[in-house]
Amino acid sequence: MSLVLSRLGNTVKRLTSFSKLCKSKRVFASNEKSKVPQKPTWSHVEENKLTEETLIDNETIDHLERMSLVDFNNQAGIDRLNKAIRFADQLQLVNTTGVEPMDTVLENRSLYLRSDEVTDGNCQNDILQNATKVIEDYFVAPPGNIPLPDQERDYGPASAKKRK
Amino acid sequence: MACVIITNIFKRNSFKKLGHFWYARSLSVAATRLKHDREWKAVIGIEIHAQIYSKSKLFSGSGTEYAYPVNNQVGLFDAAIPGTLPVINKRCVEAAVMTALALNCSVNKVSKFDRKHYFYADLPAGYQITQQRQPIATDGYCRCIVYNPAVPKYREPRELSVRIIQLQLEQDSGKSLHDEENGYTLVDLNRAGVGLMEIVTAPDMCDGEEAASLIKELQLIFKTIGTCNARMDEGSLRVDANISVHRPGEPLGVRTEVKNLNSVRFVAKAIDYEISRQIELLEDGGKVENETKAFDFKTGRTVSMRDKEMKQDYRFMPEPNLPPLRIYDSSDAVSHLDAHQVINVDDIRASIPTLPAAKRTHLVDVCGLPWADAIKLSSEVNLMEYFEGILRDAPHRLPKTAATILLKHVLRCVYKAKCSIADCNLAPQRVGEICDLIDTSKITWDIGAKLVDMVFEGETLNPAAIVEKNKWHKITDNEVILRLCQTAIDENPKAVRKYKEGKKRYFSTLIHHVQNKTEQCTDSFVVMDTLKQLVLCEYSKVTQES
Amino acid sequence: MVGNVFQVAQKLRNGSLIPSEVCSWCIRRSQLAKRLNVFITELPDYAQQLAEKSDERIALGKPLGLLDGIPIAVKDNYCTAGIKTSCASSMLENFYSPYNATVVQKVLDAGASVVGKTNMDEFAMGSGSLDSIYGPVRNPWSRVYARKRQMLTAVTSSAGVAIQQAQSGHGVSLSASQRIPDNYDDSYKSFSMEEDDWLIAGGSSGGSAVAVASGSCFGALSSDTGGSTRVPASYCGVVGYKPTYGLVSRHGLIPLVNSLDTPSMFTRCTDDAAAILATISGIDVMDSTTVQDCSVPFSLPDDASIEGLHIGIPEEYHAPGLSEETLDTWTWVADLFERAGAKVTRVSLPHTQYSIVCYSVLCVCEVASNMARYDGIEYGYRSEQALSTHALYADSRHTGFNDVVRGRILAGNYFLLKRNYDAYFVQAQKVRQLITADFRRAFDAGVDVLLTPTTLTVAPPYKEATQHDNRTMSAQEDVFTQPANMAGLPAVSVPVKLSSQSLPIGLQLMANNFEDKLLLTTAKWLEQQVQFNRLDLVEDSLGLGELVH
Repeated sequence: MSLVLSRLGNTVKRLTSFSKLCKSKRVFASNEKSKVPQKPTWSHVEENKLTEETLIDNETIDHLERMSLVDFNNQAGIDRLNKAIRFADQLQLVNTTGVEPMDTVLENRSLYLRSDEVTDGNCQNDILQNATKVIEDYFVAPPGNIPLPDQERDYGPASAKKRK
Repeated sequence: MACVIITNIFKRNSFKKLGHFWYARSLSVAATRLKHDREWKAVIGIEIHAQIYSKSKLFSGSGTEYAYPVNNQVGLFDAAIPGTLPVINKRCVEAAVMTALALNCSVNKVSKFDRKHYFYADLPAGYQITQQRQPIATDGYCRCIVYNPAVPKYREPRELSVRIIQLQLEQDSGKSLHDEENGYTLVDLNRAGVGLMEIVTAPDMCDGEEAASLIKELQLIFKTIGTCNARMDEGSLRVDANISVHRPGEPLGVRTEVKNLNSVRFVAKAIDYEISRQIELLEDGGKVENETKAFDFKTGRTVSMRDKEMKQDYRFMPEPNLPPLRIYDSSDAVSHLDAHQVINVDDIRASIPTLPAAKRTHLVDVCGLPWADAIKLSSEVNLMEYFEGILRDAPHRLPKTAATILLKHVLRCVYKAKCSIADCNLAPQRVGEICDLIDTSKITWDIGAKLVDMVFEGETLNPAAIVEKNKWHKITDNEVILRLCQTAIDENPKAVRKYKEGKKRYFSTLIHHVQNKTEQCTDSFVVMDTLKQLVLCEYSKVTQES
Repeated sequence: MVGNVFQVAQKLRNGSLIPSEVCSWCIRRSQLAKRLNVFITELPDYAQQLAEKSDERIALGKPLGLLDGIPIAVKDNYCTAGIKTSCASSMLENFYSPYNATVVQKVLDAGASVVGKTNMDEFAMGSGSLDSIYGPVRNPWSRVYARKRQMLTAVTSSAGVAIQQAQSGHGVSLSASQRIPDNYDDSYKSFSMEEDDWLIAGGSSGGSAVAVASGSCFGALSSDTGGSTRVPASYCGVVGYKPTYGLVSRHGLIPLVNSLDTPSMFTRCTDDAAAILATISGIDVMDSTTVQDCSVPFSLPDDASIEGLHIGIPEEYHAPGLSEETLDTWTWVADLFERAGAKVTRVSLPHTQYSIVCYSVLCVCEVASNMARYDGIEYGYRSEQALSTHALYADSRHTGFNDVVRGRILAGNYFLLKRNYDAYFVQAQKVRQLITADFRRAFDAGVDVLLTPTTLTVAPPYKEATQHDNRTMSAQEDVFTQPANMAGLPAVSVPVKLSSQSLPIGLQLMANNFEDKLLLTTAKWLEQQVQFNRLDLVEDSLGLGELVH
């Protein structure tokens, strides 16, 4: 009798632990059946799949600084751009034959037309209030149309390796 | 005495010699030109920036008045205050569509806006909103007349057709005042954001005169349709010219751009100068640089505008704050749209008034006017309106008479009084009455001229009444005329003799005698014929007798 | 005082609270949260003035609406008339806008009290709120995290209990009922936050997120260009909602990327989000990219149901680097939906991987263009340089902009050069078309709402986050969020549960264009299911100064 009871007890224990096991594994089991993929479905693009790497040369550096009127400041700045270009090179892997470029998600909408009424202006104060320099209600700028002088740039090791 | 003689000789012979000198010089200039024409071909294309005549700016609600207090006609968007966005003015779009139709362009039903980036003090956003990829209209043409009686090449009116490549909407920039002395530039943004139509022509012109003719035609068109007041002196019309030269048969040469020409005259001069400059440079073995130049009107030369800088890359990018601009026509279903949001090309086409070219054709083909008169009349909107005023409600009136009276006599008075045809105090109806009197042979042309003067000066009586009062009726009785002519001949034997000797100018003495006697109430041609016949009779009488 | 806008509004109506009391409470909270560096400009006096006006209106029984008397914070890239708008940049450090942004005006017209302008990444460039001239924003869950870490290293006999109770670290409680066990008093007194213990708040709208999370306001306006609202929402355990592009006016929002920027918001719950949307949305003649949509305004049903809803699980959103816990949470919630009767299917958005690349190009190109106006002439920092206009511009822009901004301008101009335009910019625009088409296909096939993670992980520690540069960080943080901006879709991040380190894990829901009501209803249902315990700063008996160190 005690043997039967103890065996029953063990079975109960095993059943309990089995059900506990089932419970704990339930998440695992449901994960496996889950609609959510349990492993990453893509991996980062390998370097060798991309086109030839572009490293910007001094001429481009100069050109960009003049176009942007901001400077790279240091080698880190140039490296940052090189990396950004490399990252963007992944776009070449996408087949876009026959695809129209998208300017805006509103490309199928129409431009709103405003009536020809004077509703603005006559707010000289508002316009001038944030200007650091004002002379007799005019904004003030230095003489224009003088391009930036050529600069000696010390950006560390030469970045020119390949010409684009 | 000797002095007098010498002076006389100087007056006559040297004058002739001087005349010869200038004649020879002009011949050589013409010869050079001819040589150039044979050896070189110039190719001119122009870009016109026309300020749209609207109450408010293209993308903001601030006003567009000329010469407003500094920086007081500037909206937040115009000053590129952060966070502000463009909102397009319907009137500017309509104006662009109307202009495009007047220039025979195809209007794109969908057009887009782009940003063109460059840094300049009067461009607060660092970019200009324009239409580079898909402008509002393309592929048109403009027909103009090239006619300049002062230039031998253009003594005969000739039609010129210039292709329009595209018409696009864009923003105007502010104004910079350079103060060299103090080393700064003052910036006024009143003009920043005013709507512009940029019109780009094909390089279909070959010299300054042709370019000037095109610009004048465009000015007329703008004023007729009211989309731009086309005043180059106020800057509401600006012209940039692209000029290159090449030898016939060879490819096109390198072109230079001459910018910011602010009068038609300067356009012609700058272009002609630049053509000569390029030809001389190339003939000397030099190379033409692709550069931008300005025109120095004091020296009559083009001068380099910018220092040598790297080629400008405008980094065009679509304007993300403006969805596509859509224009409809009568075939489109638009009932579901708000009517105010619909611009219909066909409606605009129907509202275009008669254009100058059509008016000219009408004047020549239907009214029988000579080209010179037709061109003159159609060259000024107010003049044309005045002419139409003379003919209004008077289908019997002869356009030719009206044109002659207007162009010769009314304008003379206007110029003398230094006023304008629009506000002279001679009503077109009065001129019409004078024309009627001439056409019905009641008065002579000379009396007609006199009447114009009198009414212009303020005479309150109507022309017919003036004629009655002064008894200025035309003398039509042939016997009376015959008698008058005979008297003239009898009283001026010397003149008759000289005339018979071949000095034709003495004939006018006889005519004047008759006219003076009759207070210009005789028709000059009739008098002339009569006198000639009488003189001839006398002559034959004499020869018969001898 | 806990609660959301609806609850507070109710109390205001029935008189158990008055607006100026609510305002003082929020202002006190913002003082407690000072070390979190939430605000660039605090406006306690202004907020109180507005609150007093609300007092009068409500006393007369004439509230302007639901938001009357409710404290709201505004991200510092919205123009506010007469109040500094700096975008956390030296360039605009002294810029006073002459006008109010449309959304700010609407919020003011609704009677809300604006308590301050919140901190952010400079010009909204960044995913961490680390790049601001006013210093980084700190995640309020940092204390919980640090405490947790400290507790875990402390050896006690009741380790298991301690861990659970440690979740109610002193000064921060998860619910009002839990108290600090007495035997932790000592450890509390010796507790200190090292700089390294701080977690990032996420960006670029970190300040606004923390403003709501810390209770300094009941709602905060923010912007979302590639995830700038949803990422901090996920890290800070609040609701971060980005409406459909075009529903809300951008007039007055200083732009980062005009074609992607969407005025957004942080709230404590989805009902509040719907309420704020109702106030700020609407066609605006000053913004040609706003559209008329009849579905707005709306309120959410009390019993949000997902019966018959089709949830899509885009498989590409299991990206490399997704943390285990986030994955488990995502799985669990998908399961939750399915068991509750929704149809859950796996879908594919094949170009997802390239979306972040596309974003990186389009973003910098527009930045290069939008930043061209900062030259110091009409406004902004102006250097003393006077040789030439170009020299002045270059000098002002060198000093006025940080490395991140300058780097993006240069990159953008590189891609816009004539020789690169087709290969990079136009190609990116085409890829954007493909990404939008991916979504359209999924929605056309019957999917109502997409369920994805918001971020790869929970809020990373400051030390870890600063190992990468801004660009790399953005590429990682924004990987799940920027596709919605590409296609203009409405998206919301809902806090779901706490990680093993007691940090919030958020999940993202996305719906089709103009299905904002459906989106927020689904989010409400999820919210009701998960009952996320919000962070609540309580006043400490030891005094205000002790709370945050």
